[in-house]
Amino acid sequence: MVDALEEARRILVDDGVLVDARPDSRMSARVRARSATGRVIGTIGSQRPTKSDDTHSDHAVADVLRRGLFTSRRRGRLWHAIPFEDAGELQDYLDDHLRFSHRVRWRAPRAARAGRLFVERAVRFDVLERR
Amino acid sequence: MSATANVGRLLPGGLGYLRPPAEIELAAYGVDLRGRRVADIGAGEGRLALGAARGAKTVLAVDPDRTALRRGRTEATRRGLRNVTFRYGTAQDLRLPDRSFEVVIFSWTL
Repeated sequence: MVDALEEARRILVDDGVLVDARPDSRMSARVRARSATGRVIGTIGSQRPTKSDDTHSDHAVADVLRRGLFTSRRRGRLWHAIPFEDAGELQDYLDDHLRFSHRVRWRAPRAARAGRLFVERAVRFDVLERR
Repeated sequence: MSATANVGRLLPGGLGYLRPPAEIELAAYGVDLRGRRVADIGAGEGRLALGAARGAKTVLAVDPDRTALRRGRTEATRRGLRNVTFRYGTAQDLRLPDRSFEVVIFSWTL
């Protein structure tokens, strides 16, 4: 991972910008009822290997910052909203997912899970400037 | 100097792509691509690269998946984009000249 960041730095002009966006498994995905701004009725965690991979990515970015190869211009977190027609479709999605846990931790009774659902997943980003 | 931005901002996704439209995602990063030479490393089928091509001077999309690259080229042609190029490569060994891009994008690449 660090070698990829070093390679990106090599092809950037002075003061060039690297945008790095990566999934943020430190935050559980949120399941919302009916709309992307609806009530949170469940959460979805990440599989253990995924968390480990994401930690390594975070460490790689921290490493190139510490070594002064880049400076941080901006960082933040975005949420991607993914719609599902119903809980069945969401479960089908999770059954094959390589990152998410395969089960929703529901916070609401079954009746509240009827209808359309939205999953919000966290994406962390860093905007780095070449030094 | 570092800053924290966009915490909690919600971008629309969709089952067709599971990621937001490229223009929306790129705008959220707050980087001006207009007139810039952009490299999208780990570009896949070029979702972000094709979105970036609308404003950038040139976009190079690099990925180790040749099938994805073919799809990206086809889509670029369909959209009439002439300033985007797809090339085989890996993030660790880009085989590109030093200091040749103003912006590099790693989206789910690390």
